[in-house]
Amino acid sequence: MSELRRVDEAVWEIPRDARADMRVPARVFADEDLLQAIRRDRSLEQLQNVATLPGIVGAALAMPDIHQGYGFPVGGVAATELPDGVISPGGVGYDINCGVRLLAAPFSAGELGGRKEALVHELSRRIPAGAGRGGPPDLTEAALDRVLVEGPRALVELRGIGTEEDVELTESQGCLDGADPSAVSERARQRGQGQLGTAGSGNHFVEVQRVSRIFDTATAGAFGLREDQVTILIHSGSRGLGHQVCTDYVRRMDAAHHRYGIDLPDRQLACAPASSSEGQDYLRAMAAAANFAWSNRHAIAHRVREALRQVLDDEAARATRQVYDVAHNVAKPERHAGRDVLVHRKGATRAFPAGHSDVPDAYREVGQPVFIPGSMGTSSFVLAGETGSMERSFGTTCHGAGRLMSRTGARKHIGGAELRRELEAQGIVVRSASNKGLAEEAPFAYKDVERVVDVVARAGLARRVAQLVPIGVVKG
Amino acid sequence: MTYTWIEHTAELELELRAPDERGVFRAAVAAFAELLGDGSGEPLCHAISLAADDRGAQLVEFLEELVFLADTEGFVPERVAHIDLMTKHAVVKGHVGSPPPLVKAVTYHGLAFAQGADGWLARIVLDV
Repeated sequence: MSELRRVDEAVWEIPRDARADMRVPARVFADEDLLQAIRRDRSLEQLQNVATLPGIVGAALAMPDIHQGYGFPVGGVAATELPDGVISPGGVGYDINCGVRLLAAPFSAGELGGRKEALVHELSRRIPAGAGRGGPPDLTEAALDRVLVEGPRALVELRGIGTEEDVELTESQGCLDGADPSAVSERARQRGQGQLGTAGSGNHFVEVQRVSRIFDTATAGAFGLREDQVTILIHSGSRGLGHQVCTDYVRRMDAAHHRYGIDLPDRQLACAPASSSEGQDYLRAMAAAANFAWSNRHAIAHRVREALRQVLDDEAARATRQVYDVAHNVAKPERHAGRDVLVHRKGATRAFPAGHSDVPDAYREVGQPVFIPGSMGTSSFVLAGETGSMERSFGTTCHGAGRLMSRTGARKHIGGAELRRELEAQGIVVRSASNKGLAEEAPFAYKDVERVVDVVARAGLARRVAQLVPIGVVKG
Repeated sequence: MTYTWIEHTAELELELRAPDERGVFRAAVAAFAELLGDGSGEPLCHAISLAADDRGAQLVEFLEELVFLADTEGFVPERVAHIDLMTKHAVVKGHVGSPPPLVKAVTYHGLAFAQGADGWLARIVLDV
């Protein structure tokens, strides 16, 4: 990749003329060390492929946690101009609106004390992971339709699950406009059945943490965070329902894109103009799946509060407040630099700055909260969106540390039982559905999250607010 | 007929080799049997119909159906009992079990299905 040139201290670029089919340049937010890791897999080639999409504007962007995916790289961002720029289901991914939700408990790690292990155990008992399906809230078909259209607000109204404040403190208030259950196939509904309130597998988790450091006291105060406080971070998505929605529409667009004169370097980039019938149907189905994912994390948060009530008391559960909930895999119509665009974020987080009208009132003066989970056993970070994100990255920042090593590679280095012992020696209580899955998520399989966060801070995309260290994890 | 797991940073990449096209599908089921295998259970057969026009997309469709059946019925595939690529019809034998929900989807990324000097070769990436 000799075409890569440095733009400034945090940005590198592959110029548009590096390949005849690129419509815009490809830009990577990284430092030299991260770039070295990024060059080891095919993520930059995938980013160049994204730069060929019809209607793409600005540049195909990669966050510092970029790694090789399928079609789009994970950590990829692309904005296509509306109405006729393309929508690519693969540019959102199979786990539509995979994302994270942070809860802040009203007690400190010191006050939790010896009840930590009981809490993690109770979380693992109440929140199905791996193959587990959910139990309540099992929904009627009509109730599922309301969830698909309205998101978590339907759970508040139908079942008294969570609160209106939780909904307000969720990206897009947990509801994308235009969601249409009739665009979601029966197969997708079947796969999603019984999965509300479940973590799933892979890199999904529920982590109990302690605020170890505050970087920005005023913003941390606005987010309701203080040093030594216990927080709970939930990472999950739209489960089988979202996987099947993406499967259905990648297949449909794979069959249709030639009709629109679209040539692609990779079939997984299958796409259609956002204004086409295929594009509109996908956007309606994707919105429904995104609303399902927000409802899933909302239901998991309810189970977290139930576990707190069981292990601590009613007040601990009641006063556990949602800080915010952000999506990682989604496409949203937004306005940037005077243009109406569809921003595909695949393993990337919206990061709107202070003053933006889509930031909730409670945070309007400080900017949108962003959560960057580290790997299991390492720190996670709370950030706030900055103005640089609007100028440089379509209002986007990174979503995690980013994988560095394959799953089989991780398993060759460490066994699940050994990793569990290592984490427990660090004071982290571990509950995992499988030792194999645990080993695949070993900390060394990921990039250094502190370095990733440093890049987005130096690039002006988001600023550090707080650092969280794990004290317990329920692994999917 | 063989299958090999190829290194991929985040997903699972599968290379399938067989002397004929049908063998590629048989190798794919053998790979899925390894991924989803959980011992034994009540025997079950599933018929799978394919609609796509090219072999690569047919392989994607075939494996997507196995992912769907694993997710919704706990179907653990063991072997291909019958496959006819002219009529686009297959029957897969397996059992009911508790397969791990490892595979979210079957992708078209880097999809290959072609004849080489030593027979047929396919490559496919699974989202996990």
